[in-house]
Amino acid sequence: MKIAISSKENNELSMVSDRFARSEYFIIYDHDTLSFTAVENTAKKAGSGAGGKAVKILGDLNVDIVLVPELGPKALEALQAFEIESYQYPKEKTVKEVLYLYFEKKLPKLEVSTSTGRH
Amino acid sequence: MKIAILSGKGGTGKTTLSVNLFSFLNKGTLIDTDVEEPNGHLFLKGELIKEESVLKKYPHVNDDLCTYCGKCGDFCNFNAIIPAKKKVLVFQDLYHDCGGCSLVCPTNAITYQDKEVGKIYYTQVSKNKLFLYGNLTVGEVSGVKIIEALKEKTENEELLIIDSPPGTSCSTVSAIDGADYCIICAEATPFGLSDMKMVVELLRAENQNFGVVVNKSNLGNDEIYHYLEEEHIELLEKIKFDREFARIMAQGELLINHSEYFKEKMANIARKVLGESYDQ
Repeated sequence: MKIAISSKENNELSMVSDRFARSEYFIIYDHDTLSFTAVENTAKKAGSGAGGKAVKILGDLNVDIVLVPELGPKALEALQAFEIESYQYPKEKTVKEVLYLYFEKKLPKLEVSTSTGRH
Repeated sequence: MKIAILSGKGGTGKTTLSVNLFSFLNKGTLIDTDVEEPNGHLFLKGELIKEESVLKKYPHVNDDLCTYCGKCGDFCNFNAIIPAKKKVLVFQDLYHDCGGCSLVCPTNAITYQDKEVGKIYYTQVSKNKLFLYGNLTVGEVSGVKIIEALKEKTENEELLIIDSPPGTSCSTVSAIDGADYCIICAEATPFGLSDMKMVVELLRAENQNFGVVVNKSNLGNDEIYHYLEEEHIELLEKIKFDREFARIMAQGELLINHSEYFKEKMANIARKVLGESYDQ
């Protein structure tokens, strides 16, 4: 099982990002190997449609779960199509902290988008 | 002759200049290409003779033919089409009508369907005067299709005035495309000058001939005049701000019908840009 977290920097001690699709990095936690990998988020630079593109990146990495600060409607639709579950983390935490919160089942599951798309 | 009126900054007087210059001339066609918020029609009374839908195409994916190879998604710069696990997502509002996804699709699974993005309206203002404006449907991202439709419908007009959208983005580039001359309607303020510089850069990149009308010339400062001199840009006319002008415009009236000063300014601009032939 792989869990992706939107992150400001490239390791598990980084602060989580305030944005999902335009975060600097995704930290991928692989629960089978207990390892962390950082993936630079190329969707960040997209002129439009960063949400869908970010989800595509995660889908291609076979991510099962994503931890996010917020989700736009297109990103949510794309996550559903890629069969990736999403959970919302609180602000001002590190990647590791929100991962623990997830395993403690303290993060709410996102079923509806929390923000409107931005141009 | 096709003349585009543009500004960079919003609110400098593009539409004021366009509708008054158009009304001053004895013939010609005006198009309002500010399709996100058109307002030329508020000043030009006439009979609405026709309205037409403007369509854009968006991709439709045949699930039976699609192999989920991902080529369409890799190709699309706008992220409008995203192949997922068991279906291909199409975000209609992000789609730019380039047709690339169907070109790269190896199984011809992508066809196109029509969607209305807005309308264009034709108004007969008088016997020799036609006015067209476009209106972009709320929620649509780009007005370029509508601007292109307005330009296409009027491409054979002998004298065309193009009231352009503000800014220097795709809409403006599309509006001035094919113009013989551009009039920058500027404002003598730091903000007006800063935005005008971007327009100058755009027009030079497009190899356009242009001159400047400084509107509200008694406000702001002298910086714009120094800039025009340094850059050897023609100052076509200076038009002062007058509270009375604002009052007349606010009632939806044309300034040339109420102000000899303003009418004289339009005559000077017409003479400089069009030559004597179109002078009334």
